[in-house]
Amino acid sequence: MLALLAQQVPDFVRPDIDWHAAAPELTLLTFGALVTMMDIVWLEKGRKLTSIVASIGLLATMVPIITLAVDGADRSMFGGAFVVDDYALIMKAVFILTGYVVILLSTNYIAEGDYWENEYYGLLLSSILGMILMASARDLITIFVALELLSIPAYMLATWRKRDLKSNEAGMKYYLMGVFASAIMLYGMSLLYGGSGSTLLTDINESISGPGDPSAVVVLGIIFVIVGFAFKVSAVPFHTWAPDTYEGAPTPITAFLSVASKAAGFVALMNMLFVGFFGRDDVYEPVIWILAALSMTVGNLIALRQTNMVRLLAYSGVAQAGYMLAPLAVAGDVPDSALAATVGYLVIYAAMNLGAFAVVIAVARKTRTAEIDDYRGLFHWAPGLTVAMTVFLFALAGIPPLGGWWAKFRIMGAVIEANTAAGVVMGIFVAVNSVIALYYYARIGVKMWAEPAPDDDTAPVRVPVSLTSALVLTAAATIAFGVLPGLVGEVTKVSLLAGVGG
Amino acid sequence: MLLNQFLVLAAILFCIGVYGVLVRKNAMLVLMSVELILNAVNINLVAFGALNDDVGGSVFALFTIAVAAAEVGIGLAIVLLMYRNRRSIDLSEADMLKG
Amino acid sequence: MTDFLNDWGLTAITFVPLAGALVMMLIPRDNEGAHKQISLGASLLALALGVVLLFDFDYGSAGSLQFVTDEKWIEVINSRYILGLDGMSLPLMALTVLVMPLVFIYSWNHIPEPGNGKAFLILMLILETGMIGTFVAQDLILFFVFFEVVLLPMFFMIAVWGGPNRRYASLKFFLFTLFGSALMLLGFLALFFLSKDPATGELLRTFDMRALTDVAGAGIVRSSQLLIFGGMFLGFGIKVPLFPFHTWLPDAHTEAPTQGSVILAAILLKLGTYGFIRIAIPMLPEAAEAWAPWIGLLAVIGIIYGALGCLAQTDMKRLIAFSSVAHMGFVMLGIATLTDFGINAAIFGMVAHGLITGMLFFVAGSVKERYHTLDIGRLGGMLIQAPRLGWILGFITMASLGLPGLAGFWGEFPAILAAYQPANGIPVETFRTYMVIAAVGTVLAAGYLLWLLQRTAMGEPSEEFADDPNITDVSRIEWIAWTPMLALILVFGVAPGLIFEITDPAVVESLNNCLQLPAGCEGVAEATQAAFGG
Repeated sequence: MLALLAQQVPDFVRPDIDWHAAAPELTLLTFGALVTMMDIVWLEKGRKLTSIVASIGLLATMVPIITLAVDGADRSMFGGAFVVDDYALIMKAVFILTGYVVILLSTNYIAEGDYWENEYYGLLLSSILGMILMASARDLITIFVALELLSIPAYMLATWRKRDLKSNEAGMKYYLMGVFASAIMLYGMSLLYGGSGSTLLTDINESISGPGDPSAVVVLGIIFVIVGFAFKVSAVPFHTWAPDTYEGAPTPITAFLSVASKAAGFVALMNMLFVGFFGRDDVYEPVIWILAALSMTVGNLIALRQTNMVRLLAYSGVAQAGYMLAPLAVAGDVPDSALAATVGYLVIYAAMNLGAFAVVIAVARKTRTAEIDDYRGLFHWAPGLTVAMTVFLFALAGIPPLGGWWAKFRIMGAVIEANTAAGVVMGIFVAVNSVIALYYYARIGVKMWAEPAPDDDTAPVRVPVSLTSALVLTAAATIAFGVLPGLVGEVTKVSLLAGVGG
Repeated sequence: MLLNQFLVLAAILFCIGVYGVLVRKNAMLVLMSVELILNAVNINLVAFGALNDDVGGSVFALFTIAVAAAEVGIGLAIVLLMYRNRRSIDLSEADMLKG
Repeated sequence: MTDFLNDWGLTAITFVPLAGALVMMLIPRDNEGAHKQISLGASLLALALGVVLLFDFDYGSAGSLQFVTDEKWIEVINSRYILGLDGMSLPLMALTVLVMPLVFIYSWNHIPEPGNGKAFLILMLILETGMIGTFVAQDLILFFVFFEVVLLPMFFMIAVWGGPNRRYASLKFFLFTLFGSALMLLGFLALFFLSKDPATGELLRTFDMRALTDVAGAGIVRSSQLLIFGGMFLGFGIKVPLFPFHTWLPDAHTEAPTQGSVILAAILLKLGTYGFIRIAIPMLPEAAEAWAPWIGLLAVIGIIYGALGCLAQTDMKRLIAFSSVAHMGFVMLGIATLTDFGINAAIFGMVAHGLITGMLFFVAGSVKERYHTLDIGRLGGMLIQAPRLGWILGFITMASLGLPGLAGFWGEFPAILAAYQPANGIPVETFRTYMVIAAVGTVLAAGYLLWLLQRTAMGEPSEEFADDPNITDVSRIEWIAWTPMLALILVFGVAPGLIFEITDPAVVESLNNCLQLPAGCEGVAEATQAAFGG
C-alpha cells in the first residue's frame, strides 16, 4: 500500500482551484473562525457582538453566491468532486437564508437563557458550512465530509441546554441515531466504491448503470445509502429521533434541524439519485416510493394525536418529508420535473416552517410551553401572531393562495407527469394525505381563533425586534410564493443531469 | 479469493455492529457498536482499493477514521453530560420525551 | 373606457373586494363603522362594475368569451392569467356581485357573536374575490386557486362566528371540500399532461380552458378519461353537494352565521355545478357520457333523500339545508342529461336556487334573531306577530316549491323535462325513470315546504312568544337587503327568457364541440316558449 502511495506521490500536482467557485465556503469559513476567535480572545466581552458578526458572515456569504449566479457558468473542481451549478447555488442560498433566520430566532432566546452564546454561533456557522459544501459535493468522500461537518455541530447544538435533562436526552438520541445512520450510509458507500471503483458520482453512475440486472453489491450499496439519508430527512421508519430531539432541543435549533438539516439530507439524496444512481432507477425508485408513502401517511396519522406543538410540527415535518420524497420516486421517468418539484418544495417549506417555529418561540415567551392547549384564545392576546400562525399552518396544509399549494402542486404535477401506475397512486397518496394533514392544522386554527384563552389570561406578549423581523420575512415569503409562484418556478428550473449526459 | 474473505469479515463486523446498536441499552456499548460498523467500512474500503489498484479507497478510509474520531469525541462528551446529570447512561431510562 | 373594460374589466371586478379588504386591514379594529362602509362600498363598486359589464356585454355573441384578459402568469407550467365572460358565467357572476352587497347591508346591524366586525367583513370580501374569480377564470390553475381561496374565509366564518357546534361543522366542511379538490387537481394535472392536439397529435401542455375545451379530451385513452372525470366528479360533486357527499352541508348551514349560510347557499354551492358545466363535461365529453347515468342516479337520490330529510327536521335552518340538497339534485339532473335544454335549466336552477335559498336563510336568520330559536315546533303565528316577515316567508316558500310564475319553477321543471330526452348515447329509459322519481320529488318538496310554512307562519303564536317585545316586523335594513332578491325572484319567474337567452348560446357552443344534440331540441328559449306559451 505504501509503495502504491509512494509511486503516485511524485506525479502529484496541485489541482487547479477556482477561487470564485469556492468563495462562498471560504467566506463562511473565515467568519466561522472569526466568531470562534472572538470568543477565545475577548471572552465575555465578545458576547454582544457574536450574533452580529455571525449574521454579517451569512450575508457576506450571499455575495459570492449572487455573483456566481449572475455569472451563470457551471464550474467544476477536483475532477468533478466539487460542482457549482444553478442547483447548488439555489440550495446554498436556501441554507444561508435559513441560517440567517435561525440567528434572528436565536438572539434573544439564547441570550436570555443564560447559555453559552459564542460557541453557539460558531457551531451554527460550521454546520451551515457543511450544508453549503453538501450542495456542491458530487463525490462520496466530499459528501461524507460535508455530512459530518453539518451533523457534528448539530449534535452539540441539540444538547445546548447542558443542565436540562430533556436537552441531554434530545442530543443523545439525535447523536446515536445520527452516527448509526452515517455508519450505515458509509457501509453503503464502501460497497458502491467497490462496485464501481471510483468515489466520483459520475463515474459510479457510468459503471453501475446500463441494461441488465445490477449486482447485489450495488443494490445493497444503493439501499444502505438511501437508508442513511432517510434518517437525516426523518423519513418513516427512520424518523423516531425527530420528535424527541425536536422537543428537547432549544427551539431555534429545532427550527434549524427541521428545515436546514432536512434540506441538507435532501440535497445529498438528490445528488446521489440524480448523478450517482441515475441509471439505476429500477433499484432506487421502489425504495423511495415506499419511504415516501410511509412517511406521509404515518407522519400525518401520528400528528393527529399530538398535544405538543413542537411534536406536532415534528410529525408534520415527517409527513412533509414524505411529500418531498414523492417526486424522487419517479425521478427516473421525469428527472427534471422531479428535481424542480423537490427543490421548490424545500424552498417554500423553509419559509413556512421557519415561520411556524418563530411563532412557537414568540408564544413560548409568555406561556413557557409549547402545549397546543396554550394556543387557545391566542387571538385575544396576540392577534398578530395568530394571523401569522394561521398563514404558516394553512400554507403547510397547502391551501391557496399561501405558498404551500404551489409546492404540493409541483409534487402532484411531477408524479402525474410520470404517467405510470406508481406515479398516479403516489398522487392519490399525496392528495389524501393533504386532507388528513389539514385536520390537525385546521384544528389549531380553530383553537387559536374560536376558543377562549385559558384562565382568561389575555396579557399581551412582548415580541423582540429580531423575532418580529423573522416573522415578517417568513410570512412575506410564504405569501409571495403562493401568489406569484412563478418566482419559485423560475429559480427552481434546475437540472442535475448535465453530469450524466441525461 | 482473498477479497471475498475481507468482505465477509466486514459483513460480519457490520452485522455485529447493527445488532449491538439495536439491542444494547448502554450508551457506551452502542457507541462501540457503531465503531464496529465503521471498522467494517474501513476494511471494505481498503480491500476494494487494493482490488482496484486505486488509492481512493485508502484515502476514503483515512477520512473515515479521522472524522469518526471527531464524532466519537462529541459522543463521549454527550454521554459524560448525561452521566453527570443523572448518574446513569442506561438508554432505557432516557424516556422523558414521549408522545 | 371601453378599452379598459375589455382588457381589465374582469380583473377589476374580481379584485375590487380584495382591495377593499386590504384597506380595511390598515384600519384599527375599533372603528367598526368605517369597516362597514368600506366593505359595503367595495362590494357596491363590484356591483357597479358588474352592471357596466352587463351593459357592455355583446348579447349577440353570448356564446363566445368576452372581455378576455390573457397575460403571463406562471410560465414554468405554462399556466396563464386568463379571464373571460360568456353566457354561462355571466348569470353566476351577476348573482355574486348582486348578493354580496345585500349581505353587507344585512351585516350593518347583524354582526354575529363574538363581534369583531373587521375580521368578519374582511373574510367576506376575500370570499367575494374568490367566487367572482372562479366564475371568470379561464385557466385551470387560476380556476383552482380561486376555487380554493373561498375555503379559508368560509372555514373561519363558521369556526369563529358559528353556532354551538361550530368547530365540528367547520372542520367537516373544510375537510370534505379539500378532499374533493385535491383529487380534482390531480385530474387537472392529468389533463395537462395527456391532452393532445387532434390535428397534429402533439402534446398540448396547457391549462387554457378554451384550448382544452376545443380538443375535448382527444388523445386521452378512455380509461384515463374516466379516471380524470372521476377526480373532477369528486371535486365538484362534494361542493354541489351530490348525495353521498352532502353530509357536510346541513352541519355547515346549521352552524354558520346567517351571512355565511346565505353566501354558502346562494353562491358557493354553484361553484361545483359550474365546474361540471364549464370544465368536466366539455373537456371530457366521452367520460361525461359514461358517467351521466350515475350522476343522474345520485341526483335523483339526492332529490328524494333531501326531501325526506326535510320532513325529519325540527330545525328550520337544517330543513332549508336539506332542501338545498334536493334542489341541487334537480340542477345535477339537468346537467346529467348532457343536453342543451337540461344544462340551460341547470344554470337557471342555480340562479333561482341562489336567490330563493339565499332569501330563505336570510329569513331564518331574522327569525333566529327575534325568537332566539329555529325549532319549528316552538315557532308559529308569524303572520300575526310579524305579518310582513310571514308573507315574505310564504312568498319564498312558494318560489322554492316551484310555483309557476316564480323563479324556482324554471329551474325545476325544464330539468325534469330534459330528463325525458337525454343526449344521444345515454340510456333513455333510465333517465325517464329518473324523471318520474324527480317529479315525485317536487310533490314531496311541496309537502315539506308547506308544512314548514304552516308550522311557522300560520296558526296562533305560541304562548312562549306571545308577548315577546323582541318580535318585530321586517326592519328597514332587512327591507333594503331583501327587496332586490324578492323582485328578481318575481322577474325571472315571469320572464325566464332573460336568463335563457344569455345562457343558451354559450351552452350550445360548449356542447356542440363534443355532443350530438338530440333532434328537435334547438335553442331552449324557443323550446320553452313553444312549450309553455310564455
